[in-house]
Amino acid sequence: MHVPFLIIGGGLSGLAAALRFARFLPDVLILEKHSRVGGLNSYYYRNNRLFETGLHAITNYAPAKTKNAPLNRLLRQLKIKRNELDLHQQIESEVRFLNQEALRFSNDFSLLDAEIAAKFPTSYNRFRQLLQQIEDYDPFRPAPFISAKKILHETLGDKLLVDMLLCPLMYYGSSLENDMDFGQFVIMFRAIFLEGMFRPGGTIKDLLDLLLNHYRDYGGKIRTKAAVSHILYSGKKVIGVELTNGEEIRCDYLLSTIGSEETFALLDKPSPLESLPRLGFVETIFELSPETSLEHSENRTIIFYNSSKTFSYQQPQSLVDFDSGVICMPQNFQDLPPSPFKEVRTTHLASYDQWYNLHDNQSSYNSAKDDTALASREVAEKILGNFAENIVYRDTFTPLTIERFTAKKQGAIYGNPVKIKDGDIGYDNLFLAGTDQGFLGIVGSMLSGVSIVNQHILSRL
Amino acid sequence: MTRDEIKDLILEIIEDIDEDADFDALQADKPLRDQLDLDSMDFLDIVMELRKRHKLQIPEEDYPQLATLDSCVNYLEPLLTDA
Repeated sequence: MHVPFLIIGGGLSGLAAALRFARFLPDVLILEKHSRVGGLNSYYYRNNRLFETGLHAITNYAPAKTKNAPLNRLLRQLKIKRNELDLHQQIESEVRFLNQEALRFSNDFSLLDAEIAAKFPTSYNRFRQLLQQIEDYDPFRPAPFISAKKILHETLGDKLLVDMLLCPLMYYGSSLENDMDFGQFVIMFRAIFLEGMFRPGGTIKDLLDLLLNHYRDYGGKIRTKAAVSHILYSGKKVIGVELTNGEEIRCDYLLSTIGSEETFALLDKPSPLESLPRLGFVETIFELSPETSLEHSENRTIIFYNSSKTFSYQQPQSLVDFDSGVICMPQNFQDLPPSPFKEVRTTHLASYDQWYNLHDNQSSYNSAKDDTALASREVAEKILGNFAENIVYRDTFTPLTIERFTAKKQGAIYGNPVKIKDGDIGYDNLFLAGTDQGFLGIVGSMLSGVSIVNQHILSRL
Repeated sequence: MTRDEIKDLILEIIEDIDEDADFDALQADKPLRDQLDLDSMDFLDIVMELRKRHKLQIPEEDYPQLATLDSCVNYLEPLLTDA
């Protein structure tokens, strides 16, 4: 079999890349290892209902009139009309450093601006300077690593404010321990604070189905449960792939969205990239009975919290670091249709190695999951008020769960700390998109797929 | 295709990319990009649509020739004589 364009991975970057290409030429094939598309942002059925994985909120909210905002550019590139998506904006979110300070923010930037003016008055003018730096910076121009932490300390001169601004940006997209590249910081600051957050009215499945339906309408093809065992190549030219069932598929262009090291492994080559620690996470979903009222939640959409003196974003020594994390209440978006469910979802940093040590002892592994859910619930109850009595269903994902279902190495959802921004990994017709290309989040990863197709493939056809 | 037909073709493609595009004040000798707020990603759409509709292969080095409506017509006229 031969296809002009072959894509490994049916996550959001692969789907977007495929749809972008299929708009002009229908001869595309996506190979997805799992039985379902979506990658990190997918879903599963349990307890007679659909549960989303990954998705808390989609960043990069933009009103229709801002033509050049990432969300609108993406929709234009994929020829999807805004009204095909049922967009619901966040109500209000918060960065809360317990016993220190709290900053509220929403899709109206003036809220965060006023919060900083009120709570960090001596740093406010310096914060305005930082905003100017963010506005002037072009994060898409190739540049060496610049420490965002260093620039923030120099500009703001207040450690607490620096940590409070970094906390949500790191949790929503940093693959690097305790720092970010300044370009990545600028992208994330715009995506979360200047643009904002939203979600679809239905579930992630609606968004995935929308993409798949458009893709199939153009004639695009997809195969699930199709795992690649080798990439076949000669010199710098890729010929095709071999599947685990022995089948060969040849192609003119190959796009890999599965990560850089994961791609080098299929080429039977050692990764030339520096090896830095990857960040694992645990996530727990608490489904609550619909009448539950969370006493202190104040309808927050997302709370990024930290309870220790200094905020650290790194691989913990223990199974899980409960000192900081993310608490999301997916029902708290504006004007959502009524739902028979309420949820609290929590995320914390976790150690892949520690979880891996338990993997061949099912009972210790399961009790560690239970302990994690319990400790996470206690942290969340301190912030939201008690809800233990109202839990009707609960599920915990460890870094091992995430690795098994998303094939992300070590369950590191943000991938390799070293990014390959231009998608070029040294082959004439094989390119990298997705998490390890460096654009993160749902809108970011989809733009990654689109821009790599534009830059390396469509313009060369 | 006549020059007017080519002009209509380009405008039709742009309208398809951006249904809110406003052609009322469009000056044919000024860059489309600035007047219609198009970015390089949108520009690639014009090239790809020409390929899809008229089997035209426009090499990357020729993209600058599509900068204005007039230059598009000049560039495409000899390529679309039989279209």
